[in-house]
Amino acid sequence: MNQNLKYLFFTIPAIIYVGIFAFYPSFDAVYFSFLNSRGQFTLANYKELFYFNICGTILNTVIVTVGALFIQLFLGLAIASILTREFRGKRAFSTLTIIPMGVATIVAAITFSFIFQTTGGYTNSFLHLLHLPTVNWYANKYISLLVVMISDSWKNTPIVMLILLSGMLSIPKDLYYAAALDGAGPIRRFFHITLPNLKKFIAIALIIRGVSEFNIFALPLVLIGYHPSLLTTLAYELYSTTTIYLSSAAAVILLAFISVFIILNIKLSGRK
Amino acid sequence: MKFWYIAIVILSIYFLLPLYILIMIAFSPAKYTIETIYPPLVFKAFTLNNLIYAFTQYDFVHPFFKSLSVATLVGILGILIGVPAGYGLSRLPGKIAYPVLILLLITNMVPGIVVAIPISAEFIKLHLFDTILGLALVQELITLPLATFIMQGTFSAVPREIEYQAKIDGASTFSYIKDILIPTALPGIAAAFLISWMFSWDEFTYAIILSPIHPTLPVEIYINITRGNELAAVAFSLVFTIPVIILTLFLQKYLKGEYLAGGVKA
Repeated sequence: MNQNLKYLFFTIPAIIYVGIFAFYPSFDAVYFSFLNSRGQFTLANYKELFYFNICGTILNTVIVTVGALFIQLFLGLAIASILTREFRGKRAFSTLTIIPMGVATIVAAITFSFIFQTTGGYTNSFLHLLHLPTVNWYANKYISLLVVMISDSWKNTPIVMLILLSGMLSIPKDLYYAAALDGAGPIRRFFHITLPNLKKFIAIALIIRGVSEFNIFALPLVLIGYHPSLLTTLAYELYSTTTIYLSSAAAVILLAFISVFIILNIKLSGRK
Repeated sequence: MKFWYIAIVILSIYFLLPLYILIMIAFSPAKYTIETIYPPLVFKAFTLNNLIYAFTQYDFVHPFFKSLSVATLVGILGILIGVPAGYGLSRLPGKIAYPVLILLLITNMVPGIVVAIPISAEFIKLHLFDTILGLALVQELITLPLATFIMQGTFSAVPREIEYQAKIDGASTFSYIKDILIPTALPGIAAAFLISWMFSWDEFTYAIILSPIHPTLPVEIYINITRGNELAAVAFSLVFTIPVIILTLFLQKYLKGEYLAGGVKA
């Protein structure tokens, strides 16, 4: 026990740091969200959020999260499956799939804003070349949110892919040989061996990415501005145009959703 | 087999296309890119004028050095806090190490905007608002868990017998760490530093809230795009991205699913 105490001592700086810079501000945000500008306790901030269409904002955030997770999971599974086999140019391909991780979010956002511009955008340019009708990417809320999902998925699929790949590599090869001997084809092997054994990794990837999707900020800010708004862009808009108390209330609603993910994650990683 | 190669080619195009477009806009005359209704999908002409114009007309140097200083400080802080934490965690039994890991994991999940808004109020009082140190301290939140997980993994790979051996030979814990453990784990420490550096270099949310007056490069790029200086934003983006892509490829073996998933072992 004495030994353990010594090792625990080494982790104290990290624990103190996290306390000061993560937990204290989080409590601060909750506290601020119940104050008015004269420092009195109030629920007015939360009421006022309804003027800013908080329900619609939450819905938009959920749509982006679910949509982006779906795209990333699909592509991540496809790429990870490819990378578990041997083929010529595998090294080059695996290097290529990591590249978006090295591209800053803001750079990805700007590049995709050129790709999805309504006039002078590269997607429309491509459609025009094929003599197809061009699309106004910001005509309605759903197309705008789709643009955010696609752009975000380009940047973040590699993370999902890496998590799924480390899961796939941990599945014993014998299982596949045995199944192949019993006459199971690649598709049946995928559904009966890969997917069940990958469940935990898929869950982890979904939680990790789900949290980031809820926090998505730079991409929507550049691509769609504040309309339609997401929880983060709303909080930032309120921070730069109204009071810190009102923006804290929006931030606390975001925190409430994230807390669900945090609890899920603890439950899940607790089952070793 | 043919099917796999088609998939590989399509996916390769998908990963490279945005970079290709960024490079094309940076090196083509504006009349072939941002000034046309249907910009051509291939290079029509090559020019360096966009870059020259951007770097002479807009301030690149100050944001660049701010980003560089903050990222370096974040890397150093990551080592100073992450190395001891990683060592402690790699030697603690699971039932004690586990709650600490969870604590770090939670930190990584706390939304940037939730933390940044109250911190901005505190930082104004403490004169840390818009400073290099202030921003680095907050950005460390993103990188510390990652650095700690990398260090924990690296130190776990060093056999404990070496530590017992050193103890028998009369080494104290600190001299063991200083003379044996750290030199052995140097590649892992370098990776932790560079990954921290990289995440800070990219970071946007904290930077725009806590350092809006003297911005870092990502925020400067955003400011340029909102003001309609598109070519400056593209030129800066390109210069800003190249070092990070090189670093990413260099650090590929440390960008593992296990670390990204928050130190979860299968």
